[in-house]
Amino acid sequence: MMNHVASSGGALNLQVDGTSVTPSVTADWNSGQLSLEGESYPENTYEIYDGIISWVEAYLKDSGRPLRVKLHLNYLNTSSIRAMIDIFDRLQVAHDAGHDLSLLWLYDSRNPRSAELGEEFKEDYTFQFDIDTLSD
Amino acid sequence: MDPYTTGDDHLSLDDHILNLLADESYFGHPLHGALQDVMTLLESQLKRLESLTQISERSKPANGPNGRQLILSRYDHQISKLERSQKISDRYQAILNDLNKALHEASTHDQLTGLPNRRLMSDRCRSEDRRAQRLGTPYALLAIDVDRFKSINDTYGHEIGDQVLVAMADAFRRGLRGYDICARWGGEEFLALLGGTDLSMAVTVAERLLETVRCLSIEVSGATLHPRVSIGIAERRDGEEYSDVYRRADEALYSAKQAGRDCYMLADH
Repeated sequence: MMNHVASSGGALNLQVDGTSVTPSVTADWNSGQLSLEGESYPENTYEIYDGIISWVEAYLKDSGRPLRVKLHLNYLNTSSIRAMIDIFDRLQVAHDAGHDLSLLWLYDSRNPRSAELGEEFKEDYTFQFDIDTLSD
Repeated sequence: MDPYTTGDDHLSLDDHILNLLADESYFGHPLHGALQDVMTLLESQLKRLESLTQISERSKPANGPNGRQLILSRYDHQISKLERSQKISDRYQAILNDLNKALHEASTHDQLTGLPNRRLMSDRCRSEDRRAQRLGTPYALLAIDVDRFKSINDTYGHEIGDQVLVAMADAFRRGLRGYDICARWGGEEFLALLGGTDLSMAVTVAERLLETVRCLSIEVSGATLHPRVSIGIAERRDGEEYSDVYRRADEALYSAKQAGRDCYMLADH
C-alpha cells in the first residue's frame, strides 16, 4: 500500500489548509519537505496526524532521499504533542539507520517561550534538531 | 536461577511465561489458568494504554527479535511516551498561563506607566462605592494633572512628554500609601483613590505628593525640567457615586490651576 502511494504521482503530496485549531500541512515528496504551521488543537487528532505519520513512514521507507521537516507551531494540545513524539520517534529510528534528515523548529520572536518547547522536544533525540526564530 | 529477575532482559519474562503456558505438563493446574488470565488481562490493558498514547494504528515500537511485541518493552515504551508528553504539556500550560496573565495585565494597566488604567480604576471605584454604602466608610479622590504638559510636549517632543509621565507615575507610587490606588485616567491626568480616607487625611497625602513631585528633575538636551502637578481633592458625600465625587475633584483641580498650579484645592464637602 505504501508502494502504491509512492508510485502514484499526485498522491505523494499532502496539502491541507490550516484552521483556527489545526495546522496547515504541506508534504512534498519530490523535494523531501514536510512542513506544519499554525495551531494544533484538533478535536480528532487522528484525522490530522494519521496521514502525516503515514507520509513520513512511506517517505523514509521508499524515497531514499533526505527529509527536511519544518515546524512552526504556536500551541499544541496534549494529543498533538503525542503525535509529534510519534513522528519524532520515526525520525530518530530512520536517523539511527543512517537516513539523512533534519528538523527545524521555528518560533515567533513575539513568542520566545515557544523556543523552550522546541528544547523540551529536542531533549530526547539525537538527529539534527534546529531551533530558530522566524525571520519575517 | 530465573533469568528475568537478575537483569534488565525483559524478553526472558515474556518467553518464560509463554513457555510455561505451552507446557502440557502444567495443563489443568489452577495456576496455569490463572496465569493465562493474567496474561490476557495484561494484553488487553496494554492495548488500552496504547490506544491512549498512540495517534496512529501503525504507531508501534520496533518488534522484538522474534517478531513479537514484548509486553514489558511495550509498557516501557508507552509509559515513557506518557511521561514525555505530560512534561511537555505541563510546559505548554505554564506558558499559556503566563500569557493569560500578561493579557490580563495589558487589559487593566497603562502600557507607558504601568499604572492601573481607567477601566481597572473604574472597577475599584465602584467597589469603593459599595463599601461606602454598606459600611459608611469615607473615601477621597485626587484628580491630578501635570502642569503645562502641552507646553512640555510642544517644546521637547512627545518622547520627553512620555518620560515626564513615567517619572510622575513613579513619584505617585512613592508618595502614596500602600493601599491607595493611582491610575492613569487620561493623557496627562491621573486619579488616586484613597480608601477609608477623609478630607483632612487626603490633604496630608496630597501635600506629600506635591512635595515628591517637586523633587523630580528630568534632564533634556541642555536643560533640566522640573515638572509640577495640580491636585483637586474631593471626599465622597452620602449618596454619591464615584462619578459625582470625581466631577467635584475635577472642578477643584480646575480651581487649583486657576490659583497658579503646583498646589491643591478642596471640593466643598
